[in-house]
Amino acid sequence: MLDAIKDVVRKSSIHVCIVNCGGCNGCDVECVALLSPRYDLEQFGIYVHNNPREADVLLLTGAVTEQWKDNLKRIYDKAPEPKIAVAVGNCPISGDVFAQEGGHVNAPASNFIPVAAEIPGCPPRPNEILEAILAVGPQAIADRGREQK
Amino acid sequence: MIVPIGPIHPALKEPIRLKLQTEGERVVKAEIEYGYVHRGIEKIIEGKTWQKGIYLSERVCGICSYEHTQTFAETIEAISDVDVPPRAQFLRVIANELDRIQSHLLANSTFFKSMDHETLFMHVLELREYAMDSIELLTGNRVNMGWNVVGGVKMDADERHFEPILENLKKIEERFEIVRSLFAEGPALALRCKGIGYMSKKEAIKGRAVGPIGRASDVKEDYRVGHYTYDDYFDFKVIRRTEGDNYARTLTRFDEIPESISLVRQAIENMPDGEVRTPAEIKSGYAMRRNEAPRGEVTYMIETNGNLIKNISIRTPSIPNMDSCAKYMIRDVPTVADAVSTYASCDPCVACAERVAITDEAGKTIVKRWDEVI
Repeated sequence: MLDAIKDVVRKSSIHVCIVNCGGCNGCDVECVALLSPRYDLEQFGIYVHNNPREADVLLLTGAVTEQWKDNLKRIYDKAPEPKIAVAVGNCPISGDVFAQEGGHVNAPASNFIPVAAEIPGCPPRPNEILEAILAVGPQAIADRGREQK
Repeated sequence: MIVPIGPIHPALKEPIRLKLQTEGERVVKAEIEYGYVHRGIEKIIEGKTWQKGIYLSERVCGICSYEHTQTFAETIEAISDVDVPPRAQFLRVIANELDRIQSHLLANSTFFKSMDHETLFMHVLELREYAMDSIELLTGNRVNMGWNVVGGVKMDADERHFEPILENLKKIEERFEIVRSLFAEGPALALRCKGIGYMSKKEAIKGRAVGPIGRASDVKEDYRVGHYTYDDYFDFKVIRRTEGDNYARTLTRFDEIPESISLVRQAIENMPDGEVRTPAEIKSGYAMRRNEAPRGEVTYMIETNGNLIKNISIRTPSIPNMDSCAKYMIRDVPTVADAVSTYASCDPCVACAERVAITDEAGKTIVKRWDEVI
């Protein structure tokens, strides 16, 4: 019974923190565009906070740069359980164009923290990001909450 | 006391660390720590052809990605003596000004968000979506457009593209005056921005502030004046203000939007016929070009060897702007909350800022501040 109530609460109120670990900013502006009245992220119960200590979903953008190698795990640890990380864009998945000779990136991000879902695209469209968060987010958070018990 | 803000913080979009030295609530001094998004783009471009280089230059910055590709293409064109057909030049102007509209609207909405004024934040972001629609209609992409090539632009556009773009611009114009007057004449907002984050003209020149941030402090530089397309075919007014505070910076960006809309209209009305791309043979040589990105001056210095890029150096507007923000604007703001909104008012783009790296003897990367490097 308690679990069922917790599931409902977790599924319907998701706090998001955008973590830019070294990208071109393109994915971040698309995440900001999600806040606009056209996409209206908040009608789905999602609130962009940018505070890892209150986040349920970490939206990772950017290939992991040198400075982020240790800090990414620290940010992830700061978020309270249950939490998931979603990789937005090509950068955290493969490093995109920066994973070449001369680049200082350590993609993929899944080497450092567990990533629940990946949204490819350079950058993905806002509705794709929204669709992905809604498709995996609520259930993954609820599942993880049960696991943690 | 030192108040650290960032790298991940509710007030910031991008990873950067602000160190504010405070006395009570007053901020005395500020320091910016860069280095969280250094990817080494210039080093990756070295030794590659322009086809690969232009793709990477687009990813220097996601918000003003268009101007980077245009300047890159124009630099290579200057090296190889390629004349761009007039129709391509006009199409470039349309894309450039649409990009400027969306970037200014985004910067202002971030500023309102940093002041916790959600209503204006939403209004401005809604206007921005029309500009994004126009960009998508014209180029096929929303953010990284992939629209410029050396010798012109990738695709032609016709009435089917121009008519919806003009309609979108009309929609922006209808709402624009209301939104602008909400900010410019609203007493609550004005109280929080007038006189906050003041930078005089002298300081702006000393801090090398460029773009709307410099122009809000009465610096007259706008690199669209002097660009061959704008000089030959277009007519526009350079917006300048004298106050040099947060209010002036935001209003400068607002006032540039009608100018950009009129430039797009002029381009569509006088669109010449002809080719949109000429074949280009890349020569060896060196060239430098400056252009006006939404945030200010973008400079590309490229040296080619055959058709390979031997050396490239990119100067983006964000470093001088953020530096002058830390040195002059944040100095002596009354509260920490004002320091954050002042930082947002200088339209920072961390992704542009970080390409300079210095390695020590052990090969470890240390990212240094711009003025230490020169």
